[in-house]
Amino acid sequence: MEAELRFESPAMRALDTARARGAGYADIRFEDGRAERIEVRNGSVLTLSDESSIGYGIRAFYDGAWGFASSDDASDAGLDATAALAVAIAKAGAAVAARRFAEAPVEVYVDSYATPVQIDPAGVPLGERVALLLDVERALHATPRISVGRAWVDLWRTDKEFYSTTGSKIGQLLYQSGSGLSALAVGERDAQERTFPGDVGLYQSGGWEIVSSAQLRENAARIGEQASQLLEAPQCPSGQMDIILGGSQVSLQIHESCGHAAELDRIMGWEANFSGTSFLDPSLLGKLRYGSESVTILIDNTMPGGLATVGYDDEGSKSVRSDIIRDGMLVGFEMSRDTARTIGRETNACVRAQSWRNVPMIRMCNLNLLPGETPFEALFDDVANGVYMESNRSWSIDDHRLNFQFGCQVGWEIRNGKRGRMLKNPTYAGVTPQFWNSCDAVADRRSWVAWGTPNCGKGEPMQTGRTAQAAAPARFRNVKVGVGYDG
Amino acid sequence: MDKAPREALARRVLSLCATGESEVIVLDGDDGLTRFTQNAIHQNIAHRETSVRVRTLVDGRTGVAATNLLDEASLSSLVARAASMAELAPSDPLAGLLAGGASIAPPGAYVAATAQASPEMRAGLAAQIFGIAQRDGLWAAGYVKSSRSGITVANSRGLLASFDGTDSGLNVKQNGPDSTGFAEYYSNDIGKLDAKRAAETAAGKTQGSRAPEAVEPGEWTVVLEPAAFGELLSYITEHFSAQSYDEGSSFLCDGLGKTFAGENVTIVDDYAHPLAPSMPFDYEGTPKQRVPLLEHGVARGVVTDSYWAAKLDIPDTGHALPAPNSWGPQPVNVTVAPGCKSTAELIAETKRGILVSRFWYIRPVDLRQTIVTGMTRDGTFLIENGKIAHGVRNMRFNQSILTALNNVEFSSELARSGNYSYSIVLPAAKIQGFRFTSLTDF
Repeated sequence: MEAELRFESPAMRALDTARARGAGYADIRFEDGRAERIEVRNGSVLTLSDESSIGYGIRAFYDGAWGFASSDDASDAGLDATAALAVAIAKAGAAVAARRFAEAPVEVYVDSYATPVQIDPAGVPLGERVALLLDVERALHATPRISVGRAWVDLWRTDKEFYSTTGSKIGQLLYQSGSGLSALAVGERDAQERTFPGDVGLYQSGGWEIVSSAQLRENAARIGEQASQLLEAPQCPSGQMDIILGGSQVSLQIHESCGHAAELDRIMGWEANFSGTSFLDPSLLGKLRYGSESVTILIDNTMPGGLATVGYDDEGSKSVRSDIIRDGMLVGFEMSRDTARTIGRETNACVRAQSWRNVPMIRMCNLNLLPGETPFEALFDDVANGVYMESNRSWSIDDHRLNFQFGCQVGWEIRNGKRGRMLKNPTYAGVTPQFWNSCDAVADRRSWVAWGTPNCGKGEPMQTGRTAQAAAPARFRNVKVGVGYDG
Repeated sequence: MDKAPREALARRVLSLCATGESEVIVLDGDDGLTRFTQNAIHQNIAHRETSVRVRTLVDGRTGVAATNLLDEASLSSLVARAASMAELAPSDPLAGLLAGGASIAPPGAYVAATAQASPEMRAGLAAQIFGIAQRDGLWAAGYVKSSRSGITVANSRGLLASFDGTDSGLNVKQNGPDSTGFAEYYSNDIGKLDAKRAAETAAGKTQGSRAPEAVEPGEWTVVLEPAAFGELLSYITEHFSAQSYDEGSSFLCDGLGKTFAGENVTIVDDYAHPLAPSMPFDYEGTPKQRVPLLEHGVARGVVTDSYWAAKLDIPDTGHALPAPNSWGPQPVNVTVAPGCKSTAELIAETKRGILVSRFWYIRPVDLRQTIVTGMTRDGTFLIENGKIAHGVRNMRFNQSILTALNNVEFSSELARSGNYSYSIVLPAAKIQGFRFTSLTDF
């Protein structure tokens, strides 16, 4: 599958208009997107939808200010009006600006990229997809206490083209796929949910092979049984103890307490009124011990299978690998061109928009915790008293990304190196750098998974981003456990 | 796109639907948002789009397709995709279309000045905020937004419903060296957004909470301003969906007609409230009903759509979201009845407590117990002997919302609060025994 350029002519028209209206720089991003979703709920096909959308977004730069306008009107008049509006918006911003945020980009790329796909989803008959989910959902009802069973598949295909007044011309054909299942068990004044894989399903870049690799059929009955068992399980204890987090929960921990904290736009106050700021600042680069030596976290937007893997980001910068935390030390941020320049660095291509409708902004993209050397089962060996927790159900962190409290769907007691009885309502809390410094082991590559997060919220209007945090299970010492239920 | 061309488009698409029964939704909108930080605009955007959704039913089997391509070939393809999916779906006897009924847009839902708001107008409001921030040596972050939206719902049973509405809002966070303050306004009429007042309020909070001091977490009396109380309350509204009620995830499973909150707590879903007038029908075209959810603390009802009304054999209240969705019908116009005392009086009667301007990142901890956790932000103060004493460092809480609603007193003033996922009209709330569980260092 290759990306073919289809929108060059209208793109050139829009860029010419933007230039004629006074833009010092402009770019345009066309997207032809298709989203297919199937969701089965309690034996019924709740969702069988197929949504397509084509449009474009234009960024215009004028006197140190950006304007952005998007439209689905690709007529000559529509292109001209949208380009003119983008420039007018930039001028309106420049007129009241007390400071300038931007410089015109100079990089030029003429290239194409396509997601490697093993099984084209279009070749999998709709009937086969529906049958898989009906089978899986049926298996979730392993006990009568399952009140709600759900199974779903999402298939996304995006044909994207980027053009700039500096001469960039980039075509990309992107495939992302995901699937999962969920069982809700209801008892006497209690409701317990289990999802699989992880807490939102398995989402990666690629085709139907991603759905197959989730192994929904093989795990549905087990997940339904676990949800029921949780109703009878004892409450997770409260106190200071060691914890081992499953891979998908480590993924969420990276996302919330490293990924968002290291977004340079947030550090610069661009998200201050909504998503918040960060406890980090550029003066801490190379100085802050963010975590233990077991903790190396890096951006890799070239990683096969990563949900955010692309050839180029949405301001036309080429995907790279880039360290954020190396052996525990803070060494980098997620950056755009504008923000990178403010600290004397080059972008690491972390700019994305939800769709053609939205203005591009910094995203954590693929932000991975490198695997360690310890086999997963060996993580338990020297834990005298602790809890193993899997699959997120609650996540909250302050607007500086320091004080967090997370809850998981299920826990298991650990006594003297052995996994014991199931526990319900496990929660833990901490402060970001102290927590990552308490990490003394990350499991090895055999349990390392490119966990995708298809629903990351940021920006105003809120944009839903698709990111990934590859992770393996990890061990943390002397953590506060059981918060929320201990009063 | 105005009402007439929207309805013409809906009829045109319906005429292409040859299989089973069909419903067509045409959505059309313009959005503008001017976002600023450090007293300058950094994201300044406009977006316009028209889209069409088709839901086709064949013997209880449902398929849905959507597009924003409006040429004849694309619309024909859209209809065919919906029909082919319906052919493959299992049959559900409760799925069906409705004939609908008459609904009237509430006064004030559409304001021409908002529909026509320009980037220059939004930038002008932002500039007023910058001026106050610079005067006080602060930097402002926030947004000014305006939008126009039109919807037409039509189906093959003859239903045709259209609505045009506008909305606008601004929020501002004023930032000082070691403190922040927040204020917000929302209105269908952009002329009612008072940027200066919001900027002054937020600046006052920032100045007043400088050098915040630590207090001990534990059980506190709190006064939650509407922005904070609204964020908290938004995590209980889904319990009033017929779906969560039937499936067992709602606290209401313990019984409609039971008392769950204090006698002074009345919560109603009301699309026509003058502070937030909105769409008079739902995404199936069914006229919206005013639904009492909690009346004097007693659970009175859940909201429904056609599917859940049929399943539970109760009236359709007109609360369908766009099909398909996982959430079922939802109350999206929640209003809370006010109390008798002003917010100032509630504070004056507090011997020792915490005033909260805003919460952040609330998430459910325990669904059935309605326990949520979250953080304070942007203006948290100690109240001592009826007066605001000084700013305090932010704290995390873990709190059952139902427990809070059994220990609450409301202010007499109502405000509209919200973000992208909810809009609530509500008073400030004074709550006894609110559980703070940890402290931050800012």
